[in-house]
Parts: sequence; structure tokens; C-alpha cells
Amino acid sequence: MKRVKVNFTVNGEKVSVEVKQYETLLETLRERLCLTGVKESCSIGSCGACTVILDGIPVRSCLVLSPEVEGKSITTVEGLEKNGILHPLQQAFMEKGAVQCGFCTSGMILTAKSLLDRQSKPSKDQIIRTISSNICRCTGYKKIIEAVMSAAEKMVAT
Amino acid sequence: MILPEFEYKKPKVIKKALQLFQANRGDAVYLSGGTDLVPRIKQRLEKPSIVIDLKNISSLNKIELSRSWLKIGANVTIYELKNHPFVKDNLPALADSLEATACETIQMRGTIGGNVLQNTRCLFYNKSDEWRKAKGYCLKMGGQVCNAVKGAKMCFANYTSDNAPALITLETQVRLSGVDGSRQIPLAAIFSGKSDRPFTLQPGEILTHIFIPANKTRGCYLKIRVRDSIDYPLVGAAASLKNGNGCLAIGGIGAKPLHFDFDETEDGWGERIAREAASHVTPVANTVLSPTYRKKMVYVLVKRIVRKLSGEGC
Repeated sequence: MKRVKVNFTVNGEKVSVEVKQYETLLETLRERLCLTGVKESCSIGSCGACTVILDGIPVRSCLVLSPEVEGKSITTVEGLEKNGILHPLQQAFMEKGAVQCGFCTSGMILTAKSLLDRQSKPSKDQIIRTISSNICRCTGYKKIIEAVMSAAEKMVAT
Repeated sequence: MILPEFEYKKPKVIKKALQLFQANRGDAVYLSGGTDLVPRIKQRLEKPSIVIDLKNISSLNKIELSRSWLKIGANVTIYELKNHPFVKDNLPALADSLEATACETIQMRGTIGGNVLQNTRCLFYNKSDEWRKAKGYCLKMGGQVCNAVKGAKMCFANYTSDNAPALITLETQVRLSGVDGSRQIPLAAIFSGKSDRPFTLQPGEILTHIFIPANKTRGCYLKIRVRDSIDYPLVGAAASLKNGNGCLAIGGIGAKPLHFDFDETEDGWGERIAREAASHVTPVANTVLSPTYRKKMVYVLVKRIVRKLSGEGC
């Protein structure tokens, strides 16, 4: 079947990729652009491990078709570090021990980032509500919530 | 999970979408947020040769408030709608059901049109193709048996939209567009009552807009699910009241939401509708909770709603 060319921005860089019409954004990011920070877990939209930010909105990349993202802008976990300095969320996840096996982490961080982009001072309840979009099977939610709260405080302070 | 081969099209106008469907009749599906459809295609519950993406049809992306209606384009996301001031202030049953839909990330992608037109679900149906093949295809898959109820001649899959019951209590209408033009019907009329083919829409017809009467109402929506963070309703109950006249709708059990009218001034109305609703539902063993429990929970949820509406807490 005919492939299609899709132009979009990933982590600030313009890319043009030839994709299958029935390819998910998850496959394109991982297999064609080597952005393996995007994780495939359930593959049916339940778990949130494959979350990326699409035009400011967190989406499950396993449910997005690559031809849908023509002209759009995507942020993956690889795009958070700037000039060798980690994003406050990444730093906070390390400091608070919010990573166990690490498979849900990139999705958690991106979901949290989209919340902090919308709202600089979210309450603990709001953080819990947003983070509940993502599943952590190590059940480390407490430290994840602490990390997001700590990152939010630091981001407001700077 | 890898998707099967299909062609992807993104028309900019409804007319073009309808033409594409007709040209591939029987083999095309419409895509909006994809939160229901894409998993279905992955699990080979749909095998389209063409996927028609409706997201680029800008006329379906707006919410408009007039004196008599709140007109909602089918592409409006659950998240967008739940944050609309008119919904927050005047339509509490819908505000609750939107909030209770899936999780925040899915609310930002999933659309109201797609939520209403989601297919019915069953513990023995929403599985991988390998699983279903090993078990033997059921009635909803074109097989001869029901894998949930032994010997059953009909399908019992559950319609699990959180928002359709709430919308029904608000006397919502929907506009459908097809090759023969458009028509506007009550939301309750889009349901066939058959779990294997739950909707009465003509092949290729598109739900374009949802019309809710622009009235101030009282109401609420409650649901039972295993994980509060994301799950579909195993029982859902919505009620709305306007000038003492109320409507209750039960979702999550069977092919369509059941609805019951009530009058708030009648003595013992709460007990009556709770009993009536519980006696009319027929849950079967096709979810993670037992049918007996779900039937009891219909009564319990309705009583909680009644207490809330009577100002006695929840």
C-alpha cells in the first residue's frame, strides 16, 4: 500500500517521514526516529506509557495514526533536557526516587508536564487526578506525586 | 500491537466524508478521537479498508449557545465540554458524567460524538483476535453462540457511554447527516436495543451535532467501576430535574440506556424510581462484577441520587 509523507515537528526539530498509512505515532517515533523514550505497553490506550505531548495536549501515541500529525508539534521525553540540564520534573523524579522499573516514567513526566504547562500551581488533588491517567505497576504513586509537587514548586520559584 | 492495513483519508467537509464512505461501502469507518476505534481495529473487531478521519471538518469542532439550545459539534472533546461554563453551571448530570469519563488524558482526545457512538462491550468480546478465535467467535462476531450466557440466542454486550444516559435525561437531540440529507432526532432514538448492532444510524450516516435544551437543571451522575481512574461504567445512573419534572437514565447494562420519568412532587418518588429501575435492568455475567451485584447497585445508585437531589447528601 502507498506510503505517505508526513511533516511535523519533534522536540523543536522539523522532520519529514515516510510512513505507512496505518502506522501509529508510537511506531513512527520509536522505529523511524529512534525516540525510544516513548514506551509501548498495553497498546490499547489503557496505561499511558506511550504518552507524548501533541500541540500541548498529552495523547496516547498508540492511539494516534501518524498521518494525523501532519503540521503538528510533538514533545517526547527526549525533548525535555535543554543544553545538558534536565527538566525540573526529570530532576525531581530522580531526587524523590519516583522511578522504580522506569517503564511508566516518560509517560508520567509528560502527563505531569502538560499539567504544569496549563497550571503552574496545581493542588495535590489536581496532580492526583491528572497522574491517574497513567498506570504504574510498581505502585509507586506516592513518590511520583511528591516529585510533581516538588517540581511545580521549583518551577514557580525560578 | 500492529494495525492491519488500511487507507487513511482526512476530508475537510462532511459531503466529501459521505462520498468516501459510499465509495467504500461496508468497508469504511469514521475516525474522530480514536480512543474507542483504534483499540477496536487493533483487536481486529473492525477490519476497515479505509479510515475516514473527521477531525479536519471544522464545522464539527464548535460549541454554540443560543437562547434555546447548546449546540455541540461531534468533534468537541470531553475535556473541552466539561470545562464549558454553561455545562458547569446548568447541566450538572452532564458535568458529572463528563468528569467520570475515562481519565483526563483520554478526555482531552476523546470526542462527545465518539463517546455517544461507542460500540457495546463484553468481557468475552473486547479481546484479541487470537483469544476470540480460541474461544470460538460469538454472536456479535458473526458466530453462532454467546460466550457470556450459555445457550443464549441474542447478544448481551453492554453500552458503556457515561454521557449518553446523562444526555438522555436532558432531552438531548442529535443531528445526523447522510447522503439523503440531514435529520434531527431524539438521542434516545439512535439505539436499536440490540447489543450486536446497537445503533439505528444508516450506513455512512455521521452524527454531526448534539443539541441540549438550554435550560437550568438540577441533577447528577454516579457510576460503579473497578478502577476510579479510568474504567468504563459497570453501572451508570444519571438524573436531571427541571421544574419538578425529572428523568432518570441507567447505563452500562444491556444494549441501550433505560430511562424513566418521575415527578418530584409525588410522594415516595425516590423509592418508586429506584425499585422501577432495578426491576427493569437485566445484567448478565459479562463484566468483572456479578449480575446480582450490578442489579442491586442500580437501586443503590438511584437512592444515592435521590438523596443528593433531595438535599440529604449522598
